[in-house]
Amino acid sequence: MDFINLLSHISLKHIRFQKARMFMAVCGICLGVAAMVSIDIVNRSVLKSFEDSINHVTGRAALQVTGADSGFPEQMLDKVRNVPGVEYALPVIETNANLAGGKERSFMILGVDSLQDHQIRNYSLTDKSADIPDPLLFLAKKDSILLTREMAVREGIKIDQEIQVQTVQGIKKFTVRGLLDPEGPAKASGGDIAIMDIYAAQPAFGKEGRIDRIDLSFLPGETLNTMKDRIQSALPEGYYVDTPAGRSRQVEILLTRFRKVIGLIGFMAIFVGMYLIYNAVSISVVQRRKEIGILRALGATRVQIITLFIGEALAVSALASFLGIGLGIVFAKLTVGVVAQSVTDMYLKTSVRELTFSWDFLIKDVGIGIIASFAAAAFPAFAGARITPVSAIRAVPYSEDGFLLNRKTRIASAFFILLSILIFTAYKTAGPSSAFRSSAATFSSMIFLVLGVSLSTPAFLRLFMAGFHRFFSPRMGAGVRLAGLNLQKNISRNAVAVSAVFYSIAMFVSSSSMIYSLNRSFLDYIEAVERCDILVSSGHPLAMGGAPSIPMPEEMWKDIEKVPGVLSADPFRKTFLNYDGRRLFLGAIDIVRSMEYNQYILTAGNRKDIRRLLPHQDNIMVNEGFAARYRIKPGDFLVLPTPNGPIRFGVTAVVVSYVSDSGSIWMDINTYQRHWRDHLADNFAVRVKPNESIPTVREAILDRFGKERKIFALPSREFKGIVRDMLGRSFTLTNAVNIITLIIAGLGIIITLLASVLERTREIGVLRSIGMKRGQVSGVVIIESALLGAAGGVLGSATGVLIGWINLEGFFRLDLGASVQYHIHFVSIGWSLLLSIVFSALAGLYPARRAAKTNIVEALAYE
Amino acid sequence: MIKLTNASKKYQQGAREVHALKEVSLDIRKGEFLSVMGPSGSGKSTLLNLMGGLDQPSSGEIFIDTRPLHGISDDELTLIRRRRVGFIFQFFNLLPILTAVENVSLPLLLEGTPLSQIKSKAIDLLGQVGLGERIEHRPEQLSGGEMQRVAIARALITSPAVLLADEPTGNLDSHTSEEIFMLLRNLNEEGQTIVMVTHDSRAAAYGTRIITLKDGSLSEDIRLGEH
Ligand SMILES: Nc1ncnc2c1ncn2[C@@H]1O[C@H](COP(=O)(O)OP(=O)(O)OP(=O)(O)O)[C@@H](O)[C@H]1O
Ligand SMILES: [Mg+2]
Repeated sequence: MDFINLLSHISLKHIRFQKARMFMAVCGICLGVAAMVSIDIVNRSVLKSFEDSINHVTGRAALQVTGADSGFPEQMLDKVRNVPGVEYALPVIETNANLAGGKERSFMILGVDSLQDHQIRNYSLTDKSADIPDPLLFLAKKDSILLTREMAVREGIKIDQEIQVQTVQGIKKFTVRGLLDPEGPAKASGGDIAIMDIYAAQPAFGKEGRIDRIDLSFLPGETLNTMKDRIQSALPEGYYVDTPAGRSRQVEILLTRFRKVIGLIGFMAIFVGMYLIYNAVSISVVQRRKEIGILRALGATRVQIITLFIGEALAVSALASFLGIGLGIVFAKLTVGVVAQSVTDMYLKTSVRELTFSWDFLIKDVGIGIIASFAAAAFPAFAGARITPVSAIRAVPYSEDGFLLNRKTRIASAFFILLSILIFTAYKTAGPSSAFRSSAATFSSMIFLVLGVSLSTPAFLRLFMAGFHRFFSPRMGAGVRLAGLNLQKNISRNAVAVSAVFYSIAMFVSSSSMIYSLNRSFLDYIEAVERCDILVSSGHPLAMGGAPSIPMPEEMWKDIEKVPGVLSADPFRKTFLNYDGRRLFLGAIDIVRSMEYNQYILTAGNRKDIRRLLPHQDNIMVNEGFAARYRIKPGDFLVLPTPNGPIRFGVTAVVVSYVSDSGSIWMDINTYQRHWRDHLADNFAVRVKPNESIPTVREAILDRFGKERKIFALPSREFKGIVRDMLGRSFTLTNAVNIITLIIAGLGIIITLLASVLERTREIGVLRSIGMKRGQVSGVVIIESALLGAAGGVLGSATGVLIGWINLEGFFRLDLGASVQYHIHFVSIGWSLLLSIVFSALAGLYPARRAAKTNIVEALAYE
Repeated sequence: MIKLTNASKKYQQGAREVHALKEVSLDIRKGEFLSVMGPSGSGKSTLLNLMGGLDQPSSGEIFIDTRPLHGISDDELTLIRRRRVGFIFQFFNLLPILTAVENVSLPLLLEGTPLSQIKSKAIDLLGQVGLGERIEHRPEQLSGGEMQRVAIARALITSPAVLLADEPTGNLDSHTSEEIFMLLRNLNEEGQTIVMVTHDSRAAAYGTRIITLKDGSLSEDIRLGEH
């Protein structure tokens, strides 16, 4: 009750007067909650649509057999059919395709056995007049396809119309024989699905003799588990027999990784919000020192003071969290496509038509936002409750620095910094399987470092000012000396401003250094491994989202080499395989040939062994991050699942590769084809004969293939240029974010100085009355704020360098490998020092004007 | 009413220890109007702060209505401040964001009483101190004398056992000061116990008893007859 009283009679009025500060704190928490909400929504929505698709496509099948991503031999079908208890076992091809015209809509092709598939799946045609009992009978002709009514309407396609589809064999024409009602498989992928006969789909999508899946039902009386075991034992290792629900669980694992990365971003945002709240409450406590003293003198208990400040923070953050839900939905709308695309690339066509909500996670996210604010507000609120009533009723308080600059703060600061060091040391020394070897460890190390350093700002500011007095102020005029003294007089309040500057500068320096390091590593890497002249592919090699590219026949390299001016064309094939719950990237190339021009960076093993051991043999290279995680070195063996069952591969070398943060495996394309029986290529690395012009050859390639298929031929120089631009853009983007943080810090300085000016009205009046000019008064205030900025800038740059290193370790070196070197970005340190001083001086302008305008008579009248 | 036995207060000023109050014993009876005099730095404010529970003695005992103020927890001390003591400060110490009537209500708001129940009493008190026309004004819209009247009304709202005033007119002109003293004397005549610190012997004469402090010790204690 008394709590409500205080809140409604005091806090609301303060909130009215402190809009800017409250607004910032609201933004931070709001963004954090929004990030978490959007992750949850995106996750659930993608998962739900994936599950729906699986369920629709599954029909009445009780179990599904899956193998390698690129498909497995259709002989497995007979093995499964021979298992006692199996009723129907039907082959399925499931692949992505794009229309060749219009917006090149991508959709899913379901290739089924047109004679038997009705046994487990329902199809019904829109056009009942056809009066054919089984719509699949339409597929008897090879060029036939069934579309959903939804997709036909969207694309303006009619029955019996010919459509052009991008396939492995180039652009092919199919005739739409019927439109399906939204029922059964036709509901999968939001209707972006087409049904073909499996024997037509196999050659069209480069899967001759192979299938992607077997859907099966079993006879009455058999139980799921015994059937599962029986089928499993009839198949080689590396095959999965699972219920449809089990398959969606696999996607959940993929999403867990995504969730982890984005989740960290969410926590980061919440952390920024906490920092802002901490700052807002700190400034508020410092500024309302007198009010607290009066309330205490009139009989407010410590608990009442604490609840007053925490209550204010909670009220604000509750509001912010609810706003965060709204913003989160917007974020989710914007990002769901990208995530669905990554699931499409790695599994199968997934498109989210509507977002999925659930109260439990909304409540959880709002709860986290509020609890975070509570935690952030607690420390300054407790500090505020320690303010003694006696100090407030005096005109000039006795020493008040006990408030932030005291032993407890120093101990807490040292404790957090030590904790941060300990966690980071544990991370650096822990074994690969240890819990400390995770980005969660480096993340918490970073948070504790920031906490520890920001608690040390009062002590640091004191040191800084002592240094300033020793080395600078003796040579300066009275104004500078006065400014220095003013700052020293109220270390606690000024420390809050310093810590705001510190935080934004630390973020600025750390992210610049981290991104600079990544850019350098990536560019070096790309420079080393993309040394061909032209990259030939069926989709834009750097397309993000949009239509997935359709692979090409590997044989095409021969045709490319026949194009005049081409020296060589080397196929590259990529696929994914499951290993220890991870989705490993598998790259297949002609390693020996590509080593002639590409410079793979090896961290273990040597080129001679690669030349000798990789071609045609069961040997591989693994990337550095993967090797470190599983402690793999040349000479070790790795058992990988293939469509032929598990195969033991010898590890010949460890190579630097940044293509996947889950790990990557590289093998000779002949070895790959032998085990996977997959003769496709995702792109070709083309070299041009000496003295031939690259643009001419490029045109020749486009001329030769452009009519039969969709093709891109991107000069490698151009490709690298685009990569460089993209990296550069990410730099600009983070800089923009950092500048915003800096502006927020600037607002913090304005508020702090304003409070200080208002509190010093009397003193300023005295100075004016004894002959200080207006210009001198504002000069003092501006110098003060520049000094605060300099202190924050120095502390922030030093900490930022450390944070950049910690984050690079946890978020990149951990997964991509130690070859990602940390480079301190000195340019941004120079900028940040300059910016922090200039910006702070600018922030001092308004308070300075207020100070200069102080009316002498009024100032001296009362305090 | 208020009883001090050998109350001492030491302050640490950096490395230096200041003995602000030295073994002061004093007995204040109900209905008294005590004026505390003494040179600057003699410990007057310190004495008042100890009596009002704003601070605790380094040694010795203090009782208000036989309740000890020494050796009790901060929360107990706070409740005594809230319920038994009314403070009037030299610098008024009103909350600038609150109106006059809200400032007056503050001690009861801290008790958890809803403003609707307090408001009429607060308005009455503002009327008593002659501010019936100024209830919705903020401190910045009031003169110094008016602010001090608001402070007096605020001190009275809990019907405290004792009113403690530390140089209540230190910031006011002589005419306004006169009015404040009259107000305090009227309150005293209605039975309110008052302790007032002042530099001014003319002001001290409004009291029924005058004590003088010197270097933290009691040097004089004079009872004046009833007015
Ligand atoms: N919180 C404090 N910390 C340190 N020293 C203090 C504190 N409060 C009072 N003192 C010291 O105790 C002594 C007595 O102070 P006090 O304020 O009681 O004097 P006073 O009689 O009220 O003086 P004045 O007439 O100037 O108000 C002074 O020397 C003062 O410096
Ligand atoms: Mg005094």
